Amino acid sequence: MKKKLNKTIIATCLILVFPFIACDDYMEVSPYGSVSEETLATKAGVTNLLTGAYSLIDGVNGSFFWGDNSNWLFSDMASHEATRGSTSNANITFFEAHTILPTHEYVEKKWDGCYDGIQRANDVLRILPKVSEKELPAGEATQIKAEAMFIRGLLHYELAKTWKNVPYIDETVIYNSDYLVPNTDRVYPKIEADFQFAADNLAATKSDAGRANSWAAKSFLAVVQMQQGKYSEALPLLTDIVTNGVTASGDKYALVPNYWDNFKASTENNSESVFAVQYTVNDGASGINGNQGRLLGQPVVPPCAGGGSSTVSFSTVNAFKTDPGTGLPLPDTYNDSDITNDMGLAESAPFTPYTGTLDPRLDLTVGRRDIPLLDWGLMRRSWGPNQLERGCYVLKKFFFYKADLDVNTESFGGWTTINNINYCFIRFADILLRAAECEVETGSLAKAEQYVNMVRARAADPVGWVKTYLDNDPSRGFTDTPAANYFVGLYNGQFTANGQAYARKAVRFERRLELACEGHRFFDLQRWDNGTGYMADELNAVIAHERTTPATFPALQNAVFTKGRNEIYPIPQAQIDLSMKDEESVLVQNPNY
Amino acid sequence: MKKIDESGDLIKGLRKMMLMMKLTTFLLLVFVMHLSASVYSQRTKLSIDMRGQSIKEVLQTIESQTDFRFIYENEKVNLDSKVNLQVEQKSVEDILKMLFVDRGIQYSITRNNLILINPSGELPAMVQQPKTINGKVTDSSGIPLPGVTVVIQGTTQGTISGADGSYFLANVPADATLVFSFVGMRTQEIPVAGKTSINVMMDEETIGLEEVVAVGYGTQRKKDITGAVAIVDVQSMKSIPTGSAIKALQGQASGVNIISNGAPGSSSQIFIRGIGSFGDTRPLVLVDGVESNLDNINSNEIESIQVLKDAGAASIYGVRGSNGVIIVTTKRGKAGTMSVSYDAYASVQMPFGGNPLNMANTEEYAKIWSVAFPSEGSFANGVPDYMYRSPGSPAQWAFSGDPAVDPSKYNFDDGDANNNYIISKVSKPGTNWYQEIFDPALSQNHNVTVNGGTEKSRYLFSVNYLDENGALIKTFNKRYSARVNTDFNIGKNIRIGENAYLYYINRNGYSNSGEYNAITNCVRAPSYVPVYDISGMKYSATFNSPIVGNFKNPVAVQELQKNNRNLSWTMVGNVYAEIDFLKHFTLRTSYGGSITGSYSVGFGFKPYWDTEGFASNNSLSETSGYDKYQIWTNTLYYKNIFGKHRINGLLGSETIKYDGRSVTGSRQDYYSQDFNYLLLQNGSSTIDNSSSAYDNRLFSLFGRIDYSFNDKYLLGVSVRRDGSSKFGPNKRYGIFPSVSLGWQVSEEAFMKGVDWLDNLKIRGSYGVLGNQSNISTGNAFSSFTSNMDNSYYDIAGTNNSSQIGFYQGTIGNLDTSWEKDIVTNIGFDMAILGRKIEISAEYYKKSIEGLLFSEPLPAVVGGAAAPTINIGDIQNTGFDISGIFRGKIGNELSFTISPNITTYNNKVVSIPGTAGYFDTGSTRIGNLVRNQQGHPVSSFFGYDVIGLFQSPDDVAASPTQSQAGPGQFKYRNVDGDEEISPDDRTFIGNPNPDFTYGINLALKYGNLDFSAMIYGSQGNEVVNFLKWYNYYTSWYHNGISRDLLNAWSAENPTSTIPAVLGSTSFSENSVPNSWYVEDGSFLKLRSVVIGYSLPDRLLQPIAVQKLRFYVQAENLFQITNYSGLDPEVPGSSSNFGIDFGNYPNNHRKFIVGVNLTF
Repeated sequence: MKKKLNKTIIATCLILVFPFIACDDYMEVSPYGSVSEETLATKAGVTNLLTGAYSLIDGVNGSFFWGDNSNWLFSDMASHEATRGSTSNANITFFEAHTILPTHEYVEKKWDGCYDGIQRANDVLRILPKVSEKELPAGEATQIKAEAMFIRGLLHYELAKTWKNVPYIDETVIYNSDYLVPNTDRVYPKIEADFQFAADNLAATKSDAGRANSWAAKSFLAVVQMQQGKYSEALPLLTDIVTNGVTASGDKYALVPNYWDNFKASTENNSESVFAVQYTVNDGASGINGNQGRLLGQPVVPPCAGGGSSTVSFSTVNAFKTDPGTGLPLPDTYNDSDITNDMGLAESAPFTPYTGTLDPRLDLTVGRRDIPLLDWGLMRRSWGPNQLERGCYVLKKFFFYKADLDVNTESFGGWTTINNINYCFIRFADILLRAAECEVETGSLAKAEQYVNMVRARAADPVGWVKTYLDNDPSRGFTDTPAANYFVGLYNGQFTANGQAYARKAVRFERRLELACEGHRFFDLQRWDNGTGYMADELNAVIAHERTTPATFPALQNAVFTKGRNEIYPIPQAQIDLSMKDEESVLVQNPNY
Repeated sequence: MKKIDESGDLIKGLRKMMLMMKLTTFLLLVFVMHLSASVYSQRTKLSIDMRGQSIKEVLQTIESQTDFRFIYENEKVNLDSKVNLQVEQKSVEDILKMLFVDRGIQYSITRNNLILINPSGELPAMVQQPKTINGKVTDSSGIPLPGVTVVIQGTTQGTISGADGSYFLANVPADATLVFSFVGMRTQEIPVAGKTSINVMMDEETIGLEEVVAVGYGTQRKKDITGAVAIVDVQSMKSIPTGSAIKALQGQASGVNIISNGAPGSSSQIFIRGIGSFGDTRPLVLVDGVESNLDNINSNEIESIQVLKDAGAASIYGVRGSNGVIIVTTKRGKAGTMSVSYDAYASVQMPFGGNPLNMANTEEYAKIWSVAFPSEGSFANGVPDYMYRSPGSPAQWAFSGDPAVDPSKYNFDDGDANNNYIISKVSKPGTNWYQEIFDPALSQNHNVTVNGGTEKSRYLFSVNYLDENGALIKTFNKRYSARVNTDFNIGKNIRIGENAYLYYINRNGYSNSGEYNAITNCVRAPSYVPVYDISGMKYSATFNSPIVGNFKNPVAVQELQKNNRNLSWTMVGNVYAEIDFLKHFTLRTSYGGSITGSYSVGFGFKPYWDTEGFASNNSLSETSGYDKYQIWTNTLYYKNIFGKHRINGLLGSETIKYDGRSVTGSRQDYYSQDFNYLLLQNGSSTIDNSSSAYDNRLFSLFGRIDYSFNDKYLLGVSVRRDGSSKFGPNKRYGIFPSVSLGWQVSEEAFMKGVDWLDNLKIRGSYGVLGNQSNISTGNAFSSFTSNMDNSYYDIAGTNNSSQIGFYQGTIGNLDTSWEKDIVTNIGFDMAILGRKIEISAEYYKKSIEGLLFSEPLPAVVGGAAAPTINIGDIQNTGFDISGIFRGKIGNELSFTISPNITTYNNKVVSIPGTAGYFDTGSTRIGNLVRNQQGHPVSSFFGYDVIGLFQSPDDVAASPTQSQAGPGQFKYRNVDGDEEISPDDRTFIGNPNPDFTYGINLALKYGNLDFSAMIYGSQGNEVVNFLKWYNYYTSWYHNGISRDLLNAWSAENPTSTIPAVLGSTSFSENSVPNSWYVEDGSFLKLRSVVIGYSLPDRLLQPIAVQKLRFYVQAENLFQITNYSGLDPEVPGSSSNFGIDFGNYPNNHRKFIVGVNLTF
């Protein structure tokens, strides 16, 4: 009996305990489909991490275009260059009505997208030191480091110009550290330091057109300095860039003869492209890596649907009027009357476009009735938005040639078409006008005029103008006949003759024309405002004009740009709530929000 | 027949009764066969001419000429007396009368042609004349019950019922009382009172204290249970005909909340005693000891269901037990004659009538539109007759006669949607989109079960076919299943067996959340749009147009998914072996699990009718994968009774592994949309493929001891140690103990005198449970990955390619530990007035500590997925009360009313660290839900509407509010400052009910049965998000609610419906506010059944034991204030109760069914 008992007990224990013995290995399950930080400490690992960081310089992670760093919302809409007009998307309305609340979803999206990219750049900087020198020579490591710092600087600059008071996040800020960094320290010096390091260490030419080179870093450094009003520091830098700068591919910086070459997939990354987001389609990502930011602004030309979200304002169009005598812009009187438009005119009704003199850049920026819309045909009423609400102008920049359909476009999300046209953070025309601006503020007015004239000369060159169709058939190409009465004149000593105020106004207006709807104006106004109320005055005047147009623009009906508040955006409420330390948030809300 | 631990018990019990039978003279009668005696005895005519012969000789003659056989006892009856008998063509009965009546000999004829001769020599006084009584015993469902003991009260005289449930008892005094008893059934005492036939229905003794029920890893006498265990009345649950046992369980057990939508084959949200987790709240469902999905099990196959609600009962399941445990035992084979049953029903589901979504018709639409956009002009000249869209232009209006809508211009180009010239005739009466996509739907269910065996081997085999169709067109769920359960005894001490359930499911699925489903589109679609364009074949909506909104044609949404399939094949079950040794020990090993193979195919047609994306390519995607789950359980049981002590103990180990992989591929741009052409390789663009995998494991040791002293004092102790591969090495193991106590008060001497109290037990428990369902396998690890969408970049500037980029995908956290539920339970069970009333009530407090949830991190940490951490605490408190009231009216009408009610009070106790809250419930107007300390889980958060602004003065006098205007909402100024800002947002609703309840009513009258089931929920609130679509008019034409006809205006200032605006507004619909929140309380008459069982005399000739027909109606009525279709709106645990076009679960259904056993 006892023997039997023993046997039984042994058998029982074996059965109960057997799985336990196997247990330690049994419980170790490593995750599927991913690699650890250690595995990435190789040359290929950090190179790929860097590419991952580049993929977020547009602020768009996956499929979310609201916070896009081309700032179609944060600048174009908010500075009334463009308009949604309608209130059918309330979240856009708030940008135009200047009633953005700290809980605004898109404001949060931009914030999130930028810090997401910053931490990707920091990942490169964190893992880079773990790569052995044998595998990655010091020189190459420095290039990778400098590119990562460039990206970090770029995204912090996006944050700084949008919110001003933001935390600066370097590679020491990680999940397992005290990551609650306050937003009360000045962030610009650190951004400058990032760009300075990149400028000092990056090579002038790079293996890939999309990489930052030393001149791109210098350009950003100058931009950041200017945004702080440090014109005298920026000027020599800009002069150097204008004189010696080259693109990552080694082309000397220059304006391309044809303005539109900056907005065409096959001609981008040219000598004018200082630094751009490289968009791509048909790469297997279903259009997600295309130009999402400008997706909603495309004309409603089938197969592009659901767009028309970004309509160009009447004021922006009027700004392109030129003096019939001198061919110069009319900064003081441009908005006295609207150019002829087709408001309320049926699709089939005859229409004669405006016959007064115009800057040809108008028709390179805006789609208007009966003017060729690239190779799609003469712009029709139905390609635009609901006129009653939103006016009659569509945005043409960032739209693609019909001939590029499927080659440079891809069906997107089942409802529209996306293209791969790059967004230039900085193009050389911008550099020239910035140099002019610095010259006006601290240097020579004559030199400033010279820079402005370089930009205007290109506009004046008929090679880049919109022409009529051969036999009125869009598929046959273009004649040599300009599509409208284009006339651009150069300044001829007016800067010096009329003094700094005149020159300043001329440079600023030139930026408005040359860089219209490219995501700059809101931040230009912010720089020029500098506490003076200039920005509020400018924008409230535009709002007032838009209200006088035949379009109802419901979003603008109660819009007021409030001085001392709307120059920067509210810190996202959710981020404030998530940054509590000792019952108080380390993030302080911006004034008057 | 209720759960019996080992089927051996039953055999033993039967044997004992057999012994008793030997005392009677009627042993021969036990297994009677089927012919109707009365019929035969009437029909059979005899001619006899016998003179001077004994009765015995006469009887022998009758036997020789007929099938009748006589049975009598020689010593008790004298059959030697001589008689003369001359009859011509007389029935046997007539002959017998002549023979016996004057001689004081009683007789009776049984169905099987036995003629019994009364043993009593003396004739008793007439009033006391003993009778022969026969009848039939059935269970409550009408199935004949063999083996029931029938005894004349106060004697040892009795019988047991035969295989067809019939019994025969002779020589019963007319004033006697018959006692019917059977294991697991309530004993019945029935006075004879002059009757000769007594049919008895035995009720299952659901609370029978000796009853043994399945609990964690074993069984327990109900009497000994100290934890909170709800025993489901399976019989009443089965009256809800649905393919899903979960749906049928709604309202059947206190403490169990089930929220279902009506889509065929959809799974339900289920939680026990409130929401105890921000993630998965589903309880552990063990079917025969193996984790299974109750959604896919037919109620017919279920023998019993117990719900373990507190730690005392569930903590033996440790980490898997925190959401409660549902223990399901399926039917098993029973020793005895083979029985075959067939159960079937056919049903028709009826859509609601009329205009249930209250949408404006075309005329009303035009009226409201003109208020919103006085100058827009769509309807300036009345409602146009046509809409058309020519190539390159958006759609436009036209009136009859306009050359633009000449039918000859109509063109449909399958290759290039841009060439289409589509013309649609405006629907003047208005399209009722709801009615277009809902049709009466037929469903059917067939189940055949064969069951039988011997003492040594028993089997149950069943096959089931379910064909369930939803009233929403093209929604279906077909299931083919088979179950084989067998048990074998090897020698005296070894038992082996298996349970196997195989099923195949084919369904097309319905996405119940989000705004793209067909029901939401019924609200988004304007009524003037016809279903088809003028071709009569192509769906209308005239793409690329502001005039028809951005909805999707609801009919197209449903019709065009007709080829979509979600198929799965599952085998689930286990094999086990048990060995008894050393008298008190049993060792059991069980290996089981499930493996599911799945395959789905979906084809997206070219959406030529769609405003957005009309030119999109068609696309095909196919997905296939497997999910595997293995469980190996070893348990050692100890059982001993000595003196007044009763001890049950168990020790066990368990190894569990879950793993699976899946692969998916898709392509676009198929030349043909013919389903047979659609293979992946035929798609010409957007080639995409991916795969996924998971693997996680558990290893556990556990033990339990139950001790009872003198059947009065009960103690249960259990402990489990679980290890999970989901946690970091230092936090891998968790220990989950519990203790429970019980006091059988009614057993105490001082209670013996209390006659009305049959039973009173007080019990309580305290213990810890765990949860790990909301944590992913790799949570402890920081990992990097790559993704085309997120991290690839065209660094070389090629325009048409991108290079691989890495990014951090997840942030790891090694400190994350177990979610722990600390549960306290106090309750009592009481039976009074001869068990006519039984009540169980419990109070519980469930504190969930260290809730697992994704850590809300500020953006500065980066975009990597935050780790799951132990984020906070939730507390649920409440009462579970259930009762049974039994009664009889007269002799024939018996009834049972079983109500149950569950209350819970849910509160987030803490969310430590950062904000003290997190938001979820994302919609087009932002997050609707905030989970915050001090508030119930999933609370709605937003601006509180206190009324409508009545005038510009009113606006001016109120705090500054963005876009405020007359007729728009006035928000409550919560913070008291000068303006309405985000600080004025507050809690505006709670989707958690105050209580839910179910009432089952069962009536029986003769062969008629009636049952009804009521389910209700009180105090839950619902966000009717459909209002966002149809109360909001924008430049895009969307569907419009009829309510807007009565909207606020200066002329209609008393209206509470906000003014019609042509745009969204902060002061109206563009932010979460209390206007969307509605009272979602409801009471539903879920089911009414009337059944009729055919009487035996009709069934006998056709060898049928039971034949019952029934008719049933579901959802005959509902009481609710909710304005949408159905306030019962599921969701996820941290955000539910938001109606985005929920498939209603309250369509009426009419059913006819049959239950047949032979």
